[in-house]
Amino acid sequence: MAGNRLGASRRAVVKGALAAGLSFPAMSALLTACGSKNTSTTGAVKIPSPDAPVTWPVSKANTPIEAGLTPKAGSTLRIYNYADYLSPRVLKDFEKKHDVNIRLSTFNDADEALTKVASKELKFDLYFPSYDSLGKLITADLLRPLTHDYLTNYNNLWDSFNNPWYDRGARYTIPYTIYSTGIGWRTDMVSTDIAGMDNPYDIFWDTKYAGNMAILDDWHTAMSMVLLRNGVTDINSTKQSDLDMIRTQLLDLRKTMRPKVTISMYTDMPDGQYGLCQMWSGDAINTPYYLPKSVSPSVMRYWFPPDGKGEVDNDLVVCLAQGDNPVAAHFFMNEILDNHVAEQNFGFTGYQPPLKKFTPDTLVADGYLPQNLSPAIVREQDFKVGYPLLQLPPESDTAWHQVWQEFKAGG
Amino acid sequence: MADGDDRRPPPGSRLLWPLLALPGTVWLALLFVAPLYVVLAILFGGVDPILREPVPVWNPLNWDFTQFTYVWDHIVGHAPFFRPALVRTVLYVTISSVLCLLVAYPVAYFTARYAGRWKGVLLAALIAPFWISYMMRMLAWVNLLQTDGLVNRALSVGFFHVHVDWLQGHATTVVLGLVYGYVPYMILPLFAGLDRIPVPMLEAARDLGASRWETFRRVTWPLSRTAVVVSLLITTLPMLGDYFTNDLLSGSPSTSMIGNLINNSVLTPGQTGQAGAFVLIILVVSIVPMVLYVRSTRSGQDVMT
Repeated sequence: MAGNRLGASRRAVVKGALAAGLSFPAMSALLTACGSKNTSTTGAVKIPSPDAPVTWPVSKANTPIEAGLTPKAGSTLRIYNYADYLSPRVLKDFEKKHDVNIRLSTFNDADEALTKVASKELKFDLYFPSYDSLGKLITADLLRPLTHDYLTNYNNLWDSFNNPWYDRGARYTIPYTIYSTGIGWRTDMVSTDIAGMDNPYDIFWDTKYAGNMAILDDWHTAMSMVLLRNGVTDINSTKQSDLDMIRTQLLDLRKTMRPKVTISMYTDMPDGQYGLCQMWSGDAINTPYYLPKSVSPSVMRYWFPPDGKGEVDNDLVVCLAQGDNPVAAHFFMNEILDNHVAEQNFGFTGYQPPLKKFTPDTLVADGYLPQNLSPAIVREQDFKVGYPLLQLPPESDTAWHQVWQEFKAGG
Repeated sequence: MADGDDRRPPPGSRLLWPLLALPGTVWLALLFVAPLYVVLAILFGGVDPILREPVPVWNPLNWDFTQFTYVWDHIVGHAPFFRPALVRTVLYVTISSVLCLLVAYPVAYFTARYAGRWKGVLLAALIAPFWISYMMRMLAWVNLLQTDGLVNRALSVGFFHVHVDWLQGHATTVVLGLVYGYVPYMILPLFAGLDRIPVPMLEAARDLGASRWETFRRVTWPLSRTAVVVSLLITTLPMLGDYFTNDLLSGSPSTSMIGNLINNSVLTPGQTGQAGAFVLIILVVSIVPMVLYVRSTRSGQDVMT
């Protein structure tokens, strides 16, 4: 590999200059790169799965912080997360409580995030990844092991998250939110009873709704939906035949349905841009908040296999080694595991925290979401029967990305 | 001998022009040549085996052409899935540029020739769109073009109920978005060019018996041709790399342009080098209008002469 020829990486140069494209002011990136440090990323990456849990070694390069410290007054905590995935009120309250400034940067998809985090130049303290990139982050020594003395709220979590398969002993991660991936629609724009269909995923290929639909701009999530449609439950398949099937059906979808490819379903669908979409459960719960006053929240629907055999995942919070404020980062991690703070955050994002306080059976009665969106509730047992998106081996990862690239190129 | 000595440049003047050119040369070297070399080092570089991040290779002797070959093969090879986006880009940009010109030229002409004392006010009005960011202007259109947005409501008159899904991957919407976004950039250079045409020349043409149309065709248009080429360059080049308009007003792969290919590649681990290949393609393609511009400038000078 050409990549092995150079030990020195100048990733910041890369990003700045290429993003600049034909607009030439890439000098800042060039200057930034002068200060970049080398990243050792050799060796194989372990791929955790529920059947093969992983206990990650404690990093030698990035040592855990000492216990008993407090955030420096006036310091800045840099957070990197999806847009609208953290309550502004939670951030403000934390700033006030600990006398720190929070700087929130956002990304659109996991690939974009990983690219920027890997540059190390942005000095993020906290990052909210999925577990499918955890192995890469740890192997590339980008994470700081956690000091659990700060995480006094850790026991608020569901028991099943105390010792997760993707990070035995929770050495690097805490769970953030849980979600399923299903189908969202508006009954005033889609007449079909999707939940009553033999195979609800077929709705995405129903030309009746061409130009009235969207799929998630997340390569793995969108492509695995094709597998589920065809009854393939290994949504991390490395078989070429499965990939060929995904390619054929995705290209067919593009040609016949003209789907919008986005992650902003939670605002677009309430706006009336389309009536049908692939959707994350948290976004579905959030849609009534964005509906115009003239539209009743009762038009919103969400479908996820009632037996739980669909895509179920959880996001994480990790402490990045590149950050300058690991103490405040630990305090923040503990804060979002607090019942009251998690409740505020849930109210804003719509994404369910896996805390004991939030009993799935009472979420509707407690007013967190309307009855018509109750299929969006994620239950603890869903993680036992559902299918998680896992990191793929490098060759398969490349092959999957190439199919997604072809789909998005519109060729 | 004495005459010959007088014509000799004063001492030190030989260095004057190179010295004056130095800041511009340094500027160009730093902000154009260096980034371009970085792009090439990425394009012909490697990929980190774990994070799939690009690893630039600075020594051209070690360059690896895999990424470029991959892009090239998928443009001209047996599975040319990049080609439609390239064709689309040329098509969208050409149509948008022509539409921009059709809108901008009369506006600039009127402002330069007939606005009178309102010229200043009109100019301020023309510059006004620059005060609002491009993104905000496009977002405003997202609201207007929603299925139940103002545009559909305005078109629904009487018994007619217009239900056009403008934002669902329509080329028309993307082209109109490009026209709306870039037309102010075209008006200003056109105005500057038309405003500089000496009025006595136009009066002379009329005195010599030319009709209004002939005066325009034989005097105004040739004299404004350079401004037209400049304004087309100013709008066409950024349009070639535009991805934002398509992202906001369509979001569908069916309307992907080369800018979207670049953006997607930059943000996808393992594909960043391919973005460099697309950048290189745009660079080569944009040389053509540059050459046209130079030729047009020369012919403009000929006309003036």
